[in-house]
This record gives sequence, C-alpha cells and structure tokens, in this order.
Amino acid sequence: MSSYTVRSWVTIGLFGALWAVVEVTLGSYLHVIFPSQANTFLTGVVMGGIGVAVALTGRHFVPNRGSVLLIGVVTALLKLLSPGGARLGPFVAIIMESALMEAALWIACTEHRWAFIVGGALAVGWNLPHKFIMMRLLYGKGIVEMYTKMAQDGSQMLGLDTSAAWLILAILLLVRLVAGAIGGWGAWELGGAVARRLGRRSPAASEVSR
Amino acid sequence: MAILVEGWWLAGLALVEVTFSLAWGRGGLRLFRRPRFWAFILTAVALGPFLVGEPDVTLGPLRLSREGFTAGLEMAGRAFALTLAFSLGIASLSLSDVVAVFDRLGLRGLGFATALAMNLLGTLREMATVTLQTIWLRGGMRRPWTALRLFLITTVANTLRYGDEVVSAAAVRAFDPNRGQPASLPLRRADLWLLALLAGCTAALLAVGVR
Repeated sequence: MSSYTVRSWVTIGLFGALWAVVEVTLGSYLHVIFPSQANTFLTGVVMGGIGVAVALTGRHFVPNRGSVLLIGVVTALLKLLSPGGARLGPFVAIIMESALMEAALWIACTEHRWAFIVGGALAVGWNLPHKFIMMRLLYGKGIVEMYTKMAQDGSQMLGLDTSAAWLILAILLLVRLVAGAIGGWGAWELGGAVARRLGRRSPAASEVSR
Repeated sequence: MAILVEGWWLAGLALVEVTFSLAWGRGGLRLFRRPRFWAFILTAVALGPFLVGEPDVTLGPLRLSREGFTAGLEMAGRAFALTLAFSLGIASLSLSDVVAVFDRLGLRGLGFATALAMNLLGTLREMATVTLQTIWLRGGMRRPWTALRLFLITTVANTLRYGDEVVSAAAVRAFDPNRGQPASLPLRRADLWLLALLAGCTAALLAVGVR
C-alpha cells in the first residue's frame, strides 16, 4: 500500500464514487422496474457492464496492483451505507466482480487490452452463479431441490428436454461474458480517450511501483 | 450461525436477533417496512408446498406437500435470520466507524478514499446530470452513440479534474496516508467481558447447531 500516493487514493475514491452513483441511481431504477424475483437477466448485465467499465477506466489512472479491488471495496461500502442499499447481494456481487477483474489484471502482469476484456467478461459472468450461490446461502439446501423441480416441470410444460435448461444457462452466461467483454473493451478505449483529452498519458508499467 | 443451525434453533436465533434489535438498535428493524423483504421471505413459504416433496394434502384444486411446507418455512426462517443479522450489523455502522476501522488496520488511505467518495457522491451525480443536460440541449441526442461517447469522456474528465483539486487541497494540508500512527483503540474491562460473553454464546450455539 506504500506505493499508493494521495493522488492514487483520491482517484480510487472518485471512481468508487462514480460506480456507486451508477449503482444507487440507475440500479435503484432498474430494481424497481425489474424486481429481482421476476428478473434474472437485464439488471445484472446492465449494472455489471457499467460497473466493469467504470472500475477498469479507473485502472487506467491508478495502474497500481490492487487498485480495481480497492475501487470495488469503496463502491461496496458506499452502496452499503446508502439509504436503502443495505443488502447483502449487491455488496457481495461488487466485491466479487472487482476481485475477478483484479485477478485477470494480476495474471496479465501488464496493462493490455485483452486483460481488460477478459477481466470484464469474468466480472459480469460472475452474475449468473452469484444468483444461485446467494440463494443457496440464504435459503439453504432446500433451494437446490426447488430449482431442480422447477427446471423439470418447466421443461415438461414446454415439451423440452431437461438438458435445455443447461443450454439456457449457457446462453445466459455467454451473453454476460460478451457484455462484460464489451465493458472491458469500452473501459480501455474510454481511459485512453480521457487521457488524451486531459493531455495525460497513462504511466508505463515500469514507472509504477507495484 | 444462521447458515449452520436448523429447525427450531433457527427460529430461536431469529427471536434473539429481534429482541437484540428491539433493545439496542431499532434501525435494523426498518427492513420490516419494505414489501420487497416480505416478498423475498414469503416466496419460499409459498413455493415450498408445490416444489418440495410428494403432495399429500388436497386443498381445493391444489395438491400440496406437508414436507414442502416445512422445508419452505425453514428456508424462509434462514433467509429471515441472515437478512436481519446483516441489516442489524449495517444499521449500527457509520462512515466514521468504517474510516476508524481502516485507520486501525493501517489502511488509512482506503478510509480516506471511502470518506472522500461518500462526500463527493452528490457532486458527481450533479456533474453527470449537468453534462447530460448540456448534450441534450445542444441537440446531441440526434446521434446517440456520439452523445454517449461525449457524455462518458466529459464525465470521467471532469471527475479527474475535480480530483486534481482534492489532491491540491490534501497537499497543502500535508496529508499523507502512508504516515502517522493509527489511533489507539481504548479497550476497557467491560469490552472484554462483552467479548467473552459473545464468544461463549457463539461457541454454544455453534456446538448445538452443528450437533
């Protein structure tokens, strides 16, 4: 942490706040329009995609190791402390998304466009298992039996094979991965465009003590 | 603990949580005013009799399972206990507590970033709104992609410019997150007694729940 300067912490705070603004405003609207009980698709993809774009754009300006995770921690805390935002699900989702982005960037070692794309895809892809993991955590083992029965009854009602449920899940995951990849790619482009606009250049990897 | 215990112990745990919040922190009980919380809890009770176990009771046109109803109740109880525990914890947390904890852990910078972000939430929201309205008034929405690009670049650029001002303000005050000793935590005898009591209760409940 000693490699972080005041400017690094300020930038982390600012991008954490930007992500939190999106979560608190747009997230609240989307959760009202599409309640979580009825929606497993749109809200997570939209919020995840935008969050990924904001956090990874922040990485452009704080290229220290761990900065994306710290942006996520700040966002999660703001979401938690905001009125009506004290919910376990979004808190865990934000932390996990930022941890996955950080892991992808850590494995890549240096800043590359593909690392942003892979990190973004992994982060938004997390939204799908997140739903099931949180349900298992909150409701206990009974939820597994419930989901299995629902999948069986649904496939029977629609005249489909049970394996169609897996196909649907695979498609949902693929859409999330694509949305996340677009978010990561967008962050790379946006970070570069803003750096050019402000006459800044992103510090080279050798200039940053990690 | 709510994840580990089952059956009546879960109900007991929920009762302890409600009693605790009534006595010390009613803020956590605001959760009960939200229809979404009840919809979330009651979904399990409503779906359980249809989806878990074999139907053994007929109620008009509906064939229900008693085993499913019990399982649904238990699921709802677990979700209730976990959500309430989380809500109680958060209700007693404030920004200054979070900053103090980070400071204590030697993460003064993270505490600074969190406090800064909390204070700038309104400013950033205002900044983004003004940018959007400016683009709108200048007819930018006729080309949505260009408008989106302009909006994002302007918002992020303005945010960073604002950050420069904060950095200057911190510099003139000689603020350095990497220096300084963390504030000492005053631990009194009563705190130690409370810690011991909580540890004992947790161990006892865990032992009973796991068994």
